[in-house]
Amino acid sequence: MNTPHFHRPLAALLLGLLGAQATGGAVTVNVTTRTGAAAGDAVVVFYPLDGAPAATRDTAVIDQINKNFVPRVSVVRTGTAITFPNSDRIRHQVYSFSPAKTFSLKLYAGSPKTAVTFDQPGLVVLGCNIHDNMIAFVGVVDSPYFAKTTDTGAASLNLPSGRYRLRAWHPNAVAALPSREITIASAPLNIPLTIDVDGTSTAVAAWLE
Amino acid sequence: MALRTRIAVTFLLLLAAVLAAALGAVSATNRANAEREVQRQLDVGVSVFSRLLESNRRQLTQAAQAVAADYGFREAVATRDTDTLVSVLENSGQRIGAAMVVLTSLNGDVIATSGLHIKAGTPFPLSAEQRSGMTGDNATSLMVDNGRIYQLVTVSVRSPLPVAWIAMGFELDEKAARELAGITGLAVTLSVNSGGHWTDVVSTVPAGGGRQSDIVTRRIEMSRWGNAEVVAVLSRSLADARAPFERLTKVLYLIAAISLLASALAAFWLARNITRPLQDLTQAVDQIRGGAYDVTLNVERRDELGVLAEGLQLMQTAVQSRDQSIRRLAYEDSLTGVMNRTAFGAALSQALATADGAPIAVAVINLDRFRRINEHLGYSVGDAVLTKMAARLAAVPSVNSAVARLAADQFAAFARLQGAQYLQAWGTSLIMALADPVFVEAQPIDITATLGLALATEDTASADEVMRCADLALEHARREKRPLAIYEEALKPAARDQLSLLGELRRAVENDELRLFFQPKMELKSGRVAGAEVLLRWQHPTRGLLYPVDFIPFAEKTGFIRRLTRWTLDHAIAQGARWQSQGQALGLAVNISADDIADLRLDSRIASLLTRHQLPPQLLTVEITESGFIEDPTRALRMLDAISALGVCLSIDDFGTGYSSLSHLASMPVDEVKIDRSFVQGLESDPEFAPVVRSAIDMGHGLGLKVVAEGIETEAAAARLREFGCDIGQGYLYAKPMPLAVFETWLAGRERVPVIAVPVDFQTEDLTDTVTLALY
Repeated sequence: MNTPHFHRPLAALLLGLLGAQATGGAVTVNVTTRTGAAAGDAVVVFYPLDGAPAATRDTAVIDQINKNFVPRVSVVRTGTAITFPNSDRIRHQVYSFSPAKTFSLKLYAGSPKTAVTFDQPGLVVLGCNIHDNMIAFVGVVDSPYFAKTTDTGAASLNLPSGRYRLRAWHPNAVAALPSREITIASAPLNIPLTIDVDGTSTAVAAWLE
Repeated sequence: MALRTRIAVTFLLLLAAVLAAALGAVSATNRANAEREVQRQLDVGVSVFSRLLESNRRQLTQAAQAVAADYGFREAVATRDTDTLVSVLENSGQRIGAAMVVLTSLNGDVIATSGLHIKAGTPFPLSAEQRSGMTGDNATSLMVDNGRIYQLVTVSVRSPLPVAWIAMGFELDEKAARELAGITGLAVTLSVNSGGHWTDVVSTVPAGGGRQSDIVTRRIEMSRWGNAEVVAVLSRSLADARAPFERLTKVLYLIAAISLLASALAAFWLARNITRPLQDLTQAVDQIRGGAYDVTLNVERRDELGVLAEGLQLMQTAVQSRDQSIRRLAYEDSLTGVMNRTAFGAALSQALATADGAPIAVAVINLDRFRRINEHLGYSVGDAVLTKMAARLAAVPSVNSAVARLAADQFAAFARLQGAQYLQAWGTSLIMALADPVFVEAQPIDITATLGLALATEDTASADEVMRCADLALEHARREKRPLAIYEEALKPAARDQLSLLGELRRAVENDELRLFFQPKMELKSGRVAGAEVLLRWQHPTRGLLYPVDFIPFAEKTGFIRRLTRWTLDHAIAQGARWQSQGQALGLAVNISADDIADLRLDSRIASLLTRHQLPPQLLTVEITESGFIEDPTRALRMLDAISALGVCLSIDDFGTGYSSLSHLASMPVDEVKIDRSFVQGLESDPEFAPVVRSAIDMGHGLGLKVVAEGIETEAAAARLREFGCDIGQGYLYAKPMPLAVFETWLAGRERVPVIAVPVDFQTEDLTDTVTLALY
């Protein structure tokens, strides 16, 4: 359930893009909790300090399966249009009161025709007005370099060489993770991160800013 | 205690005990019930109270959740649209009548309120923890604010993550407390601990109501979650709880009192119903006991008392019939059917009591020679004669059945006379009634009767006395050989003195009050003194000189005569011996009664006295009346033989009056006969008596006996007796009986018939001592 679930054509495109970047290296971030357990669904963002590439109009999909948003945690570049298909046989009403993107999709079934464009960076918490337990997090970031940890707590991505500011976020993190500067060369890089997680808390960790 | 009271009291005591026990039990149960009831009420109260809180909680939770879930509200929260928020809060609060609705941020700052005077932006009085409690969301908690107590529920507002809290609450105010009190019947007090001391915020306890000791309370700690310590106190007055039971008890006491009263009346009525017939029966029994046999008993009742009454009735009849037969046996002469002595006495008493001055005559009738009828003709004839005689007497009109058979041949009758002067005539009429011969088995039997008559006077008021008077008259008649005698005062012996006479006689012997008198016996042809008859006198200390007739018959009846005879013999023989020793021997005659003859040792006694005093036997003459032989002639004859054998002379007294036949006389060792004074006196008054006297004298002589005549009062009589050849005379003509001294003077110078005799010593045991010892 928690496995990243990108839209396949998008993933292929991304890989193609990265593959085209000849210079740079593979970076793996391992996020563990303080007890050493692998922390999945952690968001890892590398902000290029040396100038960011131009914005693109990306798309993403957040499905609704068995009264759950899938994926529960998404990271998208600012300006990404996300569609919210409804795979359940019941209706859902997706909404957000988050300042980064406030919207509401009227109660619907099937795939809505229009996508919602997330044009402001920040954390958007999605809910269903009629199913309180349906919560999804959408991190909208101004960087094309981001990844989400898998169940093993690892997130791998290829970054062009250069200096980056690394930031990470996890919904259950007790405190914001400190940012750090990372310089990417050609050699593969392995970055361990440790977070304090409180699985019982209903509070959501503050967003990256 | 009367049966009635006892029944009633027992009944009532029992009932009272039962009632007391029942009331006691009810009272105790009521008391326990009241306490249990209070405890139960308190339990229920606690339960109701917690349910009330729970119900509040649910209501609040639902309302708060409804608000929190509202999309518009969430939008307003998200956009911090305060005015809209306040209106929503007010609206939702009004829906359920909540006293307060507060929206706070996640960190506890108030965003908007309704009903609570807390400004936006200030912290909410309850911390997140105090609010949330154990169950997190929508937990109930208490809040004290501004002296008010609120039960509140907090619910998070999600969009979709929690972004705020809604706290919605009811005030636990007086109204709520009263509602609770109304449901539970308990007093409700809510107290807040503020700075260590408790303040009653809300209370339904009436001011000053009930004693503190009488109140049972239950304390409920309510402030596990909240900003202050709050307790609810449920309380109940025991007295109040008992009140209905006490009313019930009062009613029960009233019922008990009424039932006791009713039972008392019923018990007394029932007891009276039992005891009144019992009293009637008792009365009837008393009457029956008193001899009334005509008591009417109520036998109508069908219960046990009726049976008893019936039994009593039967018993009465049975007793009556038995009583009659007993009465017959007791008061009737079984042979003749006339009254017996007892009944006669009673009838006479009755007649005397109702005589009212009229003279009542009583006759005692003796059938003469009745013994002979029995002896010669048999008892059946005798009985027939008696029956006929009784019937004849009863048939006499004046007698009117007032007849009784007193003894074998003795009857009695009484009658009311017209006057005392008719007494003799009445007696004669009775004799006439009996005079005709009685025919038994066609055989005529002549019966004569002797009558004693007495008239009831004031002196002889009692039946007994009249009867005795008639008896005396009868005795007199028999003595006088008359068919009839009327009682007169003279016939009455010193009867009243007789009881003490015996004692006096004994004293007379001991005190030497007896005297010997001597009456000379004269030889008729020569006029010489032939001897003397010794006569007994009693020198009574108060009554003077008493003659034998005054005490000898009594002494004979009582047996004391033997004692007197011994005394007389002793003194007479002693005196005779004195004269003998003085050379003036004189024969002495001593009278012996029939009872003396019956003394088997009489001869020994005489012999002993003769020996002791040394008197020649020839100088003693023993005079016996003919009646001395009647009882046991054979034995009497043996005794006379024995006495005669001593040499003592024997003389037959009152010769010619008795039944003794000549043949008897011939066989007896008699030396002389004494012709009865009635012959001698008849000789003086009636010339026709002379042949009788003469033949009697001749008869004596014919038997070879000396003949003595007594009662000679005139010289003419003496001359005739001399003429007839009578040997010895005695009487007033010569001398009355004289005391010793007078007699000795009289004797002096008179010529005596010479006697030559010597004393004889008889070989006998000395019985003279036992004479004095063997007293009666």
